[in-house]
Amino acid sequence: MPLTTEEIIQILKLIDESPFDELHLESGDFKLTVGKGGGRITSPSRQPTTPEPSRPVVTQEPLVARSSAGKYPQVQVPTQAEKPKAGLFDSTPYEKDGLLPVKAPTLGIFYRSPKPGAPPFAEVGKRVEDNDTVCLIEVMKLFNAVKAGVKGRIVKICAENNQMVEYNQILFLIKPESRTGELSTP
Amino acid sequence: MKNISRVLIANRGEIAVRIIRACKSLGIETVAVVSEADRESLPAKMADRSVCVGPPRALDSYLNINLLITAALGTHSDALHPGYGFLAEQPELAEVCGKNNIQFIGPSPQNIREMGNKLWARRIAKDSGVPTIPGSEKVRDVQEATRIGEKIGFPVILKAVAGGGGRGMKIAHHPDDLRATFDTLSAEVQSAFGDGTLYLEKYIPNARHIEVQILGDHYGNIIHLSERDCSLQRRHQKILEEAPSTVLSPQLREKICHAAVAIAKSIRYQSAGTIEFVFDQDRREFYFLEMNTRIQVEHPVTEQITGVDLVQEQMHIANQEPLRYAQKDIHLKGHAIECRINAESPNNGFFPTPGRIEQWTFLENVDVRMDSHCFPGYIIPPYYDSLIAKVIAKGKDRSQAIERMQYFLENFIVSGVETTIPFHQRLLKHPDFLQGRVNTRWLEEVVLPTLRSDHE
Repeated sequence: MPLTTEEIIQILKLIDESPFDELHLESGDFKLTVGKGGGRITSPSRQPTTPEPSRPVVTQEPLVARSSAGKYPQVQVPTQAEKPKAGLFDSTPYEKDGLLPVKAPTLGIFYRSPKPGAPPFAEVGKRVEDNDTVCLIEVMKLFNAVKAGVKGRIVKICAENNQMVEYNQILFLIKPESRTGELSTP
Repeated sequence: MKNISRVLIANRGEIAVRIIRACKSLGIETVAVVSEADRESLPAKMADRSVCVGPPRALDSYLNINLLITAALGTHSDALHPGYGFLAEQPELAEVCGKNNIQFIGPSPQNIREMGNKLWARRIAKDSGVPTIPGSEKVRDVQEATRIGEKIGFPVILKAVAGGGGRGMKIAHHPDDLRATFDTLSAEVQSAFGDGTLYLEKYIPNARHIEVQILGDHYGNIIHLSERDCSLQRRHQKILEEAPSTVLSPQLREKICHAAVAIAKSIRYQSAGTIEFVFDQDRREFYFLEMNTRIQVEHPVTEQITGVDLVQEQMHIANQEPLRYAQKDIHLKGHAIECRINAESPNNGFFPTPGRIEQWTFLENVDVRMDSHCFPGYIIPPYYDSLIAKVIAKGKDRSQAIERMQYFLENFIVSGVETTIPFHQRLLKHPDFLQGRVNTRWLEEVVLPTLRSDHE
C-alpha cells in the first residue's frame, strides 16, 4: 500500500491535532510509524526547560521484502524499492532539530545488549555520558563497543537489534545536554 | 539457479556493473558492496541493494575479508563474486566463504594457492609437459642470482614468487643490474605481497603476450576459448588487447590451447581462468608464464568472438552445473579489439586524473560494446584504479574491427577529466600496429618516446 505525499501529510496533520502520541499503520509489506516528539510528551511543569519539537517525527521503517529468490522466504532484506534511505546516513536534518547521531564505526551486526537476554545498554529516554557504551557491533566474532560520544538523552534508536548495520549508519539520536545542566533528571 | 539466488559483489567499477548484468540475465538478485566513496556509484544504483562496508580506503573496505563476509551473511547472500583485483586471488577469501556456506564464484582455494605461487605454477606447467621459460628455483642472494644469470644468459628477469599481474619484477641486462636491484626488489615484494622470495627467468626481448581463456567445471571438464594477444603494455599493464592473435599459425594456436587445457586439467581447475604465455617471435616458441585464477579485465574480447558470456558461465559452474559447452561448440567468429580507457593524462606520464565527468557521450553501435560504470556527473574517486571504460569493437576481420574502434573513439566525447582516448586513437593509426609489427616492448620503446617529444 504505497502512500502518496498528500496522504502522508494528511496523516501527519491528523496525529498532530489528535490526543495520541503514536500511530502504527501496517498493511501488507507497508509499515508506517508516526510519533510526536522523540518519546513521551512530558508535562511542561515537570520539565519546564525542555522545548518539545513542534513537528511530528516521521519514520518509515524498512519494509519487509518479498524475496523473489524464494529460498529464504523468512529473510527481511530490502530490495530495489526499499534500499536504505538517505535518512540512515545523513544526519543534517536531525542536527537542525538539535539532535546528534551516533554512527556505526564499522559494518556489522548491531546488538543493543551485552548478551542475549540482558537488559539493553540504552533505551529511549535514558541519559548517557559521552563515554557510556550504547551498543555492540559484531564483525566476525569481534565485538566493538560503541560509545555515546556525547552527554545527553537518547531520543531515538534507529537500528534493529540483531540486524546488520552499514558503515556510518545512524544508530541512535541523542539530544545533547547543555553544559548548564538544562536537562535535569526528573 | 538451484544453489545461487543472491550474489554479493565484492568489487567496484566496471566489473561490478558487468557482474550485476550477468546476474540480472540469470534472474539472480544482487547486493553491491560499496565503500563510502562509491555510495552513489552505478553498481550501487543498479544492484537490488547496496551495502556500505567502510571508508574509501580499500584496506578498510574492499580488502577486508571480515567485513565482506559479514555483509554477505547480513544480506543473506548465498554467493560472492570477487571480480578481479582486490581479493579475487586471495585463497583466504574463497576459504572463508566456504566455511560460511557462501558459494565463492571462482576456483577452489587450492587452485588459487597452487597458481598464486609462481614457482609452484611453473612446476605444474612442467609436469603437464608445457615448456617454461629457462629459469631458476628460489634464488637466495645476489651471488646466486648472478651465477644463475650467467648460466641461462642475460638479459634475465627477476620476479617475485608471490607476484603476478605484471607486479614485482625487474629486468637485468648485466650482473651489475642484479646487484643494483636484488635487495630493493626483495624488500619491495616482501611489503607488497608478504613474501620476499625471488626467482629468475630468461628475458625474451622479442615477445608477444598470449593468453588462453579456460573454463572448467566441478566434474573435471575443461575447455578453452582460444587466445587473446595482450602485447601492448605499459609498465607491464595491458593497454589494448585483441583476439585472435595475428602471430599464431593454426598449428601453433592448437598447440598453445592444448597446453593451456593440459595445465588446467592437471589441477582440476574450476571456473573461468587464464593461462598466460610468452611467445618468442624469433624462435616461434611459447613458454608458460603464469595462470590468473579469476575473470580478467579483457575477458570481453573473447566473449565478442565466441558468443560465450564468461561471467554467466562462472555462475553456472559455481551452481555445480556441468559445462554447458563442449570444445566442439566453441567457434571463433571475426576479430575483436579492446581499448582500456583510463582517467589518466598521456602527456603527463599517465598521471591519474580523478574528478567529475561533465560530458560522457558516445554513439551506440551493434558492433561496439562498452563496459563502464561512468555517466555524466559521475565523480571518479581518487582512491582506486583509473580504468573508466573498456571499449570492445568487433569486425569480420582485424581491419574492420580497427576501423570500427577508430570511428567509435572519434565520437566518444568525455569532458571534465582527461582520458587516454586520444592516446588510443594514435595507437590505432600507427603503421606498426596496423601491420602487426609489435612486441611487448614496442609501446614503451617506440610509441611513448614520440608522445613525449610531441609534447615538448
